[in-house]
Amino acid sequence: MAELLGVFEQAVLLTVWRLGEEAYGRAILRGVQSALNRQIVAGAVYATLDRLEQKNFIHSHVEEGTPGRAGRLRRYYRLTAAGIKALNDSKAALKQMWRGAKWPLELKG
Amino acid sequence: MIEKSPPRWLERILLHFLRARDRETISGDLLEEYREEQAPRLGVLRANFWYLRQTLSLMPFWDRMGLPLKRFLMGITVFLVAAGVWLAVMENILKHAGYPERTMIAAAIVIQGVATLLLPLLGRRPIFPAIVATGATGLALLGAFAIQRILEAPHFEGFVLFIGLALVAQGLLTLVVLLRPHHLGML
Repeated sequence: MAELLGVFEQAVLLTVWRLGEEAYGRAILRGVQSALNRQIVAGAVYATLDRLEQKNFIHSHVEEGTPGRAGRLRRYYRLTAAGIKALNDSKAALKQMWRGAKWPLELKG
Repeated sequence: MIEKSPPRWLERILLHFLRARDRETISGDLLEEYREEQAPRLGVLRANFWYLRQTLSLMPFWDRMGLPLKRFLMGITVFLVAAGVWLAVMENILKHAGYPERTMIAAAIVIQGVATLLLPLLGRRPIFPAIVATGATGLALLGAFAIQRILEAPHFEGFVLFIGLALVAQGLLTLVVLLRPHHLGML
């Protein structure tokens, strides 16, 4: 089984997957905030993207920027096959861990 | 129409800390968010604070801050709370000229310290981190002021310099922890 992902890494990867071809830095930041329902600083998201790229779970390329960002380049991210596998493995591990437990949990005894 | 932009000095700081690979892309993302969402929604002043917060979060040394540094913050905070209590008690026993003001400063140090120690418990309430951040900034400025005073004074007092340095360290580190909220539970 591949390395299991942390919750924040899963949120970032799922956001990249959901955004598809529109997955660039700002959109990912907003998507992760929406997924986790809290304010996230940009540094946390870019550090995670960097780490996930080093693990080969995503790859990136740059494209031309828009006038709204003074023409500065945009970096777009795409999931790799390894990234998809890591997400699937994490989901499977979670399901396995919860097997037999009735949700929501209640105190025993 | 002239587009709103974050302060140029702040943008220069951001660019200084970013790797060459990310300089254009990340600064572009933040500029886009600033112009299209933050400035129209919050106004320029609060949008500038938002931009400052993002800039600070992108400074690379904060990524390397782990549990030992947070333990250091806790240790230094406990020391400052103890020093503040001691200072307040001694001032009220000795009652030298200006003791009420120094007692107030000591009380502020103690309150700020206790608030920092309570961050893991109360940090998820939105207003609490804002109060602690304000106090931490005040503490860092107070420490810097004390250091400046002691360096200019005719008689060097080592313990004042030590407390001044501790105040600056505590204030800045508290701000670091607040800017890395997903590390809050590790404090």
